[in-house]
Amino acid sequence: MSAMIEAEGLTKTFPGGVTAVDGVTFTVEEGEIFGFLGPNGAGKSTTIAMLTTLMKPTGGNARVAGMSIIRQAYQVRLAIGYVSQDLAVDDNLTGYENLRLQAGFYHIPRAEVERRITEVLEMVELSDRANDLVETYSGGMRKRLDIACGLIHRPRLLFLDEPTLGLDIQTRREIWQYIQHLRDDIKMTIFLTTHYMDEADALCDRIAIIDYGRIKVMDTPSRLKSTLGDELVEFRFATGTEEEIAAAVETIRRQGFVTDVREAGERGYVAVVTNGETAIPRIFDAIAGMPAHIGAITHKRPSLDDVFLHYTGHEMRENGGSRDEAMRSRMIMRRARG
Amino acid sequence: MNMGRLLSDVYWVFWREMKRFFLQRSRLVMAVVQPVVWLVLMGNSMSGLTRNPIAARMLGTGNYLDFMVPGVMIMTALFGGVFGGTSVLWDRRLGFLNKMLTAPIYRAAIPLGKLLSLMVQSWFQVIIIVVIAVILGVHFVTGLPGVLFMLLLASLFGVIMGGISLSLASMLKSIEALHAIMNFLTLPLMFTSNAMFPTRAMPVWLRRIADVNPLSYAVAPMRTVAMKGWIWQDLWVGLVALTFLAAVSTAVAIRQFHRSIA
Repeated sequence: MSAMIEAEGLTKTFPGGVTAVDGVTFTVEEGEIFGFLGPNGAGKSTTIAMLTTLMKPTGGNARVAGMSIIRQAYQVRLAIGYVSQDLAVDDNLTGYENLRLQAGFYHIPRAEVERRITEVLEMVELSDRANDLVETYSGGMRKRLDIACGLIHRPRLLFLDEPTLGLDIQTRREIWQYIQHLRDDIKMTIFLTTHYMDEADALCDRIAIIDYGRIKVMDTPSRLKSTLGDELVEFRFATGTEEEIAAAVETIRRQGFVTDVREAGERGYVAVVTNGETAIPRIFDAIAGMPAHIGAITHKRPSLDDVFLHYTGHEMRENGGSRDEAMRSRMIMRRARG
Repeated sequence: MNMGRLLSDVYWVFWREMKRFFLQRSRLVMAVVQPVVWLVLMGNSMSGLTRNPIAARMLGTGNYLDFMVPGVMIMTALFGGVFGGTSVLWDRRLGFLNKMLTAPIYRAAIPLGKLLSLMVQSWFQVIIIVVIAVILGVHFVTGLPGVLFMLLLASLFGVIMGGISLSLASMLKSIEALHAIMNFLTLPLMFTSNAMFPTRAMPVWLRRIADVNPLSYAVAPMRTVAMKGWIWQDLWVGLVALTFLAAVSTAVAIRQFHRSIA
């Protein structure tokens, strides 16, 4: 296996002084689905913009398909496919015309063009609507066409920025299937960003959790989950002053079967435990004589949400971006609904 | 630079713009309706002027429509050109610009393809105006070669305005701001030129402005060709000036576009 992306201290500071991506280093191997997981504004799209040569880094460098994104931008562009989160297909053209245009941009030989277009249309199941204007497409169809556009030149590496943003559940699963097909049957390397935990969990061979422009942790989804221990117990105190609760938490923390206790909201805590079955009664036993009382308690297996909380110290937030960004996302949503 | 690849890239950007142009029925209908309105309404209401022998001498014709047709052609090219930058801004807003920028195409092909499409679109519009004018009884003294010459001048003017519009679009990055500025430019540019009124009928201060207005540079030679004939000493100044300005405007548009995507 060879590396398809090698990023070294990749950094982007905007003229206003905001550092969107802050010294990011990672490697994506050939043939894997690698996911950047993080909330809106974490630096995912900026990273993709640098790797796809849309933006020059202000620090660090990266090699994509073996070529420098700074000095060999043209060669990088030839090797990669890019599907943005914008549903960037032209509404005023037909599906076929969108693909014809894309084939023209990638200088695909005339003799090849028709075959390639047929091939990608079949893959995304749009053959029967190819000659309709994109205006008449649903959001899911637009997304599928957009992905087809990104595949027309058979790239070795495909970038998918939030591939299922704003789509309904059924369409999301279809898109997931295409992505898996690309990796399994065509051996394409895929770099995707998402802020959906389930998407990262279902698709990615490895994920990097990114927050405030930095990679917090990077591993396979299952290993990330197992670092949190086998199981979790979530509980919330019903009574007790701050000191009393702190004392109770401290007691729970000292139990042999508890590896960690973290805060999770108002009066709420999550304990990482080695044996969830017996953990609940044992927690009650441990703090039986104490003034703070637990009002609610549940036992669950860790999800990527818990991993995210563990490494970033906060839940995935919906943060308010600029007005421009808000307008953009509204437009994406509108187009996604078709 | 690989010339063949550049031309291919320009062609595909151009191809997309033309597809969009012919799809937008309302734009095509307006391309016909607008000159009809100008020529029929304005032409009729002003035709009383030509009954006045002094006015007729200033216009250089007994038929106001003869005088007005080149002005309407230029106005059409003007309106087409000033909003040329809008398409780049829509591409930016809808993410299509990024799609083009991640493709292995020459950056310059994007503004060049868009300007080329403005040029060809203005040909269609000018031809429509010629047809309407002929129906209304306008006589072009130099015939078809003269019409082709007018086509060339009008489209060069369209490219000048399109280049300015693209440059501003690259700098402003806002459709609303671009429209505000271009609207602000359009009407004064038109009314301080010889497009509608003979400069000889203007007060001195206005005539001074009209004489340097690039719109006048386009209209004057078109009018000469339409009404008098191939009088080259009256034609070459306009032709050279427009070609030069179109080249400069294109170069600036490419440069500003490059800057805006850096």
